[in-house]
Amino acid sequence: MGSQTFARAACVALLGVCALGSVHAQNPPDLTGAWERYRGPPGDATSPPPEPIPPLKAPLLKDWQARRVAEREADARGEPIAKGYTHCIPEGYPTMMNGPFPFDIVQSRSQINIAQEAYSQVRRIYLGKPQKKFEDVEPGFYGRSVGNWENNTLVVDTIGIKDYVTFRDVPHTPQLRVRERLHLVTPDILWDELTLEDAGVLEKPWTVTFAYRRVPNYEIIEYVCEDNREYADDKGVTRLRLKE
Amino acid sequence: MKRAIGWMAAGTLAVGAVGTAWAHHSFAIFDHTQTYTLKGKVKSFQWTNPHGYIDLDVKDGPPGIDHFTLEMTSINMLQRAGWKSSDVHPGDEVTAIVAPLATGDKGGLLLELRMKDGRTLVPPVPAIDTFKRSP
Repeated sequence: MGSQTFARAACVALLGVCALGSVHAQNPPDLTGAWERYRGPPGDATSPPPEPIPPLKAPLLKDWQARRVAEREADARGEPIAKGYTHCIPEGYPTMMNGPFPFDIVQSRSQINIAQEAYSQVRRIYLGKPQKKFEDVEPGFYGRSVGNWENNTLVVDTIGIKDYVTFRDVPHTPQLRVRERLHLVTPDILWDELTLEDAGVLEKPWTVTFAYRRVPNYEIIEYVCEDNREYADDKGVTRLRLKE
Repeated sequence: MKRAIGWMAAGTLAVGAVGTAWAHHSFAIFDHTQTYTLKGKVKSFQWTNPHGYIDLDVKDGPPGIDHFTLEMTSINMLQRAGWKSSDVHPGDEVTAIVAPLATGDKGGLLLELRMKDGRTLVPPVPAIDTFKRSP
């Protein structure tokens, strides 16, 4: 019996309250502080694997690829298609983990908060709590996240994302579930492996890995989307409001 | 003094590496093939997100331009690059290098701002080298 299996069995037998499959670390790594996206040299052990295209079911994948082509063509014409940010709408989860702005993590034994500087977005991960049923979570921009430490890996489960809050413009159903595994690959490089599960649209789970590096002493700057002079015209094209 | 990309250089490069498709903002509305050099007086300096703006009364520039709106990056990016909200004031005489709107309207993306006191302020525009400078 491996140590992890033994610990899991002890957890169930002695306490009877541990979440199935979790092994609580006595001294989990401290992730508190500021982080920013990191891309190391190709092939370096700290560089995450390349991002695969979403394994969408065939008709959906065709539509998704057609939208990518339409966006590139619109950009080339100088008429980019307006998106949520044009209306000052934050990206939500999991896109907020993409950056590009820094975020900070505040960690306690019962909760971990991740605050993305762009749009002052915050997600809260409740440690040691069970996940609710889909029907008991009202959909939102960040969903409901619960987590546990499995040895030195923070394992997070998130459900309850609004249908129009999408990652990479990939559609999803109300049954979207995102599982994350956050762990330090070096003392100052953090990986977040996100696996999206949604049998309604995906042929198989889709895993994307982001890497971040610590930014010592950086203090997150406030961000209020106060006045975007870019706007969407009646055709949905991004324009700039000028002053005379 | 040329105040420009310091700590955020890595972040800016990272944004470029993401590719414009997944950046959270597109600069595709701006012409990447030419720049204007505009001399004039600052009418207003708007320190807001998601972008800062300067409205400029133009004294010397391409024919027919007497006013121009300059968009900048997020003020968070500006702060990380060393900018302050007190760097520019209404009435300042400046020279601006801008990538104009692709539509030809009187607005553009600020690439460089030269102040009368000798300072040169550079917004940390992602992939700034993709904007071809006119002579």
